[in-house]
Amino acid sequence: MRLVAAAVALCLVVATAHAEDGEREGTDWSKQLRVRGRLAEEFAYRLHDPGDVSKLRTTGWLEGKYAFSEAVSLRVAARAWYDAVFDATDRYPANVERDQKTEFDLREVLLSVSHGDLDVRIGRQQIVWGEAISSFVTDVVNPRDFREFILPDFSEVRIPIWALDFTYRLAPGLSFEGVWTPDARISKLPKQGAEFQFAPPAFRFSNPVIRLPDNPDEFNVARSEGGFRLSALMSGWDLSLIYYDAADKIPVFFQRRLPQPVGPDVIALEPRHPRLHIVGATLTKSLEPVVFRSEVALTIGKRYETTNPLDRDGVVRRDTLDYLVGVDYTFFSKVDATLQLSQKILAGSATNLTRAGVEAQVTTSAALRVTTGFFDNTLNPTLLFVVNANRADYRVSPRVDWLLSGAVTLSVGADIFEGPRRTLYGQFDRNDRVYVTTTWRF
Amino acid sequence: MCNHRRGPRRPPPSLPQNRIAPAKPALVLVAALLLSLAAPVLADEAADIVRDADRARRPGESFVWKITITSHEGSKAPSVDGFEVFVKGTGRSFVKFIAPPRNVGRSLLTLDRDLWIYLPDAGKPVRIPLSQRLVGQVANGDIARTDYAGDYNATRLGDETIGGVACHVLDLKARTKDVTYAAIKYWVTKDGRRPVKAEFYAGTGTLLKTGVFENFKQVGDHLLVTRLTLADAIRKDRTSVLDYGEITVRPLPDKYFDKNYMKTLD
Repeated sequence: MRLVAAAVALCLVVATAHAEDGEREGTDWSKQLRVRGRLAEEFAYRLHDPGDVSKLRTTGWLEGKYAFSEAVSLRVAARAWYDAVFDATDRYPANVERDQKTEFDLREVLLSVSHGDLDVRIGRQQIVWGEAISSFVTDVVNPRDFREFILPDFSEVRIPIWALDFTYRLAPGLSFEGVWTPDARISKLPKQGAEFQFAPPAFRFSNPVIRLPDNPDEFNVARSEGGFRLSALMSGWDLSLIYYDAADKIPVFFQRRLPQPVGPDVIALEPRHPRLHIVGATLTKSLEPVVFRSEVALTIGKRYETTNPLDRDGVVRRDTLDYLVGVDYTFFSKVDATLQLSQKILAGSATNLTRAGVEAQVTTSAALRVTTGFFDNTLNPTLLFVVNANRADYRVSPRVDWLLSGAVTLSVGADIFEGPRRTLYGQFDRNDRVYVTTTWRF
Repeated sequence: MCNHRRGPRRPPPSLPQNRIAPAKPALVLVAALLLSLAAPVLADEAADIVRDADRARRPGESFVWKITITSHEGSKAPSVDGFEVFVKGTGRSFVKFIAPPRNVGRSLLTLDRDLWIYLPDAGKPVRIPLSQRLVGQVANGDIARTDYAGDYNATRLGDETIGGVACHVLDLKARTKDVTYAAIKYWVTKDGRRPVKAEFYAGTGTLLKTGVFENFKQVGDHLLVTRLTLADAIRKDRTSVLDYGEITVRPLPDKYFDKNYMKTLD
């Protein structure tokens, strides 16, 4: 019923917006259509045990935007890939091949309608909140695709959802954004045996264990999610407050003992997605030549697996506060540097918790990104270094983008991981890789 | 022990070097008073000149124009970048990157001295400093801001002739640290008050680049600059030519200058 009401409301807004724009001169449809795309060939070579090709992927993106008027437009974007590494090698099991060899995904199907101070976007889309670069602290709306960890661009990591997103400008510099979605899809995790498979929780059971499937409905109005963002810009201070009500996109494995007629109880690991209430804020300010940015999010209802044998369901609740502060500075008018410090603080002890990235009650990490350009910015080296301070696991990702022409870019880089196993980056200690990517845009 | 002999300070070369007789104290007082009264008038006149020159760099209160930037470096093939610039008032601009294909989809939003870049790979607007380089020798502020009168305090340094044209020479000092350049030395024609040349300085006094304003064209009731050539002050072989093309003067909605609307305008 809510969907129907929303559709009717949208039709009314479209009709009004179209009428409002009726004075527009005669339209040439080809001028209103914009098509662009890109084709990328990615080659990655894993450096350790065994050193071998880990990616031979051809990916195509195609997107189009048709502007019915200045107020109404429709965007459609699709992505497809074929990864020849699954035919060229037999290193990966069949379930990984099925999951990652080919893919076709609608990345965007979005109708945008503007009417006065109201903008409505309905369709499959990414709704991106937050101010920091390469961080998900307040970027909480879309689930994520972790099949290649967080190495791709974040626009590729986010999984688009079908949603209604509207913004209303309350006053100059003050706007309210509301989001509602019945699309409750969850994050994609790598299958067992995949290149970037996460280290499994360190359970120590003497009983037999079964792991139940995690197949929640993708569409479920009863489980619909939503929230809002209030943004204000005052004297250069850019502030936003957010609230989002959603299911945890990462499964939490609850334990259940199943008595057997004969023999010991079987322990069933049942993936669930507990409801979360996320309250957060972002703040940025430019004090030329420095830009400060910060994000904070309190996740209420967050649960983690525990190895404490006395815990009946193997899960404990720890409301979690994530925050980040960062600064951007350009050295010598040439070298752009970003330094970000972040902490994850649990409301309670982290003893026996098994989640990678949660090392203690307070987990601290730092990220440094340095980039510059040579030869009129046609050769752009970038270095990303991220370290978790608690156990010194880190990621170093040097990369050079060479702009061969206005349409073709050649990228050469590496992703190096170090640290103890069962830490966020240490779990990929044996997955260091070098890669070459050629991208042609049109 | 050194015994420096202090001679009279040499007057600036642009001023007449007549020998000046010692003045009587009363006369000095009167002269100082007159000067102090005249200073604001001179500053006002300088501000007027800059304001008039700004008009040659903006065709109206609200307009859209296409800018092509051709960057040259030595003997290499020049690179060409295209932008569509939406401007409203003196402090609001939205810049769409329209060429080459690798940059298409990006955009820049400037609200007074605050700047955001929208990167399709990030999927959101990201705040950046105004001084960050856009392309070639062009900083973000070079195309995002056209309001020297609002950004700088102007004083007149004197007069010069550039290419046979009599010009005012102005010293522009940044009102705040938030602008692209700490200071600009600015040449504006006496007749018509059109910008001719500019030298852009860092806070240390180092000359960063020079700019030459050319190709004036009549658009409506405005005589507009349609070419600005920026040259690196140190690497002389590095230049960027900004060509201002198709211009449309029309009202633009306020939402075009809202960072939350940047993706919609892509």
